[in-house]
Amino acid sequence: MKNAGMNIEDKGGDQLVLHVGPQHPGSGHFRIIVTVDGDYIVGAKPDPGYVHRGAEKMAEYRDYIQNIPHLERPVIIDATGVTLPYVLTAEKIIDVEAPERAQYIRMIMAELNRIISHLYWLGIYGIFLGHSTMFMWPMGDRELFIDLAESIGGTRVTFSYVVPGGVRNDMPTNFKERALKTFDYFERRIEEYKKIFFNNPIMTARTESVGILSPADAIKLGITGSNLRAVGIDSDTRKDEPYCLYDRVDFEIPTRKEGDSYARCIVRLEELQQSMNIMKQVLDLIEPGPIKQVIGGVMRGEPGEAFVRTEAARGTMFYHIVSDGEKNPYRVKISVPSFRNLIGMTHLLVGSKLADMPAIYWSLDYWPVEADR
Amino acid sequence: MNYKLISGILGAFAVGFRNIFKRRMTLRYPEERLDIESGYTFDAKSNTGSAGFKGRHILYTDKCTGCSLCAIACENIADCIDMVQVEGNWPINPKNIMPQIDYGRCVFCGFCVDACPFDCLFMTPEYELSATDKRKLVHTPFQLAVFPEKKGNVKLISDDGVAYHD
Repeated sequence: MKNAGMNIEDKGGDQLVLHVGPQHPGSGHFRIIVTVDGDYIVGAKPDPGYVHRGAEKMAEYRDYIQNIPHLERPVIIDATGVTLPYVLTAEKIIDVEAPERAQYIRMIMAELNRIISHLYWLGIYGIFLGHSTMFMWPMGDRELFIDLAESIGGTRVTFSYVVPGGVRNDMPTNFKERALKTFDYFERRIEEYKKIFFNNPIMTARTESVGILSPADAIKLGITGSNLRAVGIDSDTRKDEPYCLYDRVDFEIPTRKEGDSYARCIVRLEELQQSMNIMKQVLDLIEPGPIKQVIGGVMRGEPGEAFVRTEAARGTMFYHIVSDGEKNPYRVKISVPSFRNLIGMTHLLVGSKLADMPAIYWSLDYWPVEADR
Repeated sequence: MNYKLISGILGAFAVGFRNIFKRRMTLRYPEERLDIESGYTFDAKSNTGSAGFKGRHILYTDKCTGCSLCAIACENIADCIDMVQVEGNWPINPKNIMPQIDYGRCVFCGFCVDACPFDCLFMTPEYELSATDKRKLVHTPFQLAVFPEKKGNVKLISDDGVAYHD
């Protein structure tokens, strides 16, 4: 019971052990045990698992459709990002292929979810650096993208929209016009974000040269997503192994060389613009056609296994499904980006000041529920 | 004090100041409510849905045959649909059973709507389902058969650098 709660443990000498979380507003649903020597962190031990719900085991008792609402629960703010790789893997097992229009709508939903997730992160990051305007603005502008996603998916966050064989319903007819209006608004808004937050000397003073990750360490620790791009490695699954129809659109991979907290922030801000660029191209490319390949009866997979890697909002999301020919999958393995970025957290926190902990912790865009799954 | 520091702080203040005069984005709920056009529906013949909000269900009692496919679809997702006995004379429903939905458990995924082969279970834009008693969240087939009244008339608009509800 010694380490059961949130307590302070005296290690003797000048060192103290602090428990941050799992219900601390600054940590999310996740505990991190830090050892401090004066103002400096000398040891950090993450303790994930507080919101573990056994999504992988639950998936073995549900069929391919019933799994969709369950598997999007771990990352509800990036619901399409987490269900899309599952559906692509299930399609390989069931041996169906979605029509072209469905692939394009999936890309639109995935990019909308990326923006929704990044704006949520930006709001949280703003408030933890003490900038409450940067909490209000992204949360408000996120509403516009939620509104767009809702007009396709039907709910605000958990859409259950992508299914094996295609998508559940077509886009509304006025979607393109509404989307372009929102993108036009948001592109102006990004300039305002830069002025009030990203070029604000108070913000740069708290994030520049804080939590520096070197490219060699990033590869060794298996860092993924925006955190990897912030050290100068242009790795993006959408370019490296194109899925859906990402090979037909042209977009850049924003990178920074510094590898500090500021670089991770600015990379995500630029990704917002790239996501909108992708959606604009998709809205031009998309043509009328069928949106679903109809599968009669209960979906049954061929005995065998399949895996798919996609780029979710936080990084590479990987699904591996083993099927024994029954209506339920035999085993579903989910490899999530947050869990891999957790390994980098220990590395970054040791040696920094305790006051820099929120700046480093939230710059990694760690989502405890996704990591625990 | 260097130039970058001063210009950065002044620039941040200028942007914040300009936004004071812009129209507010806040939706003054519950005086104002969002206008949601339609609910999610599904066409069993073409096996595709049509875009719409996934809110409370609407049950067309005259078309329901009591086949229980909606309850089977909900198994292992939320387990919130129960087939219950209803009173009255329903010619195409020999067992006199219709779905009853527990909104304390429903996740609004809409897979029950996809499962209905007789186009009698759809969803509506109604989202205000809170109750002071947990038992009141269980909606009987006859409660589900009532079409909700339209409440909202406000839309989220973005143009010319301003987003507002109007």
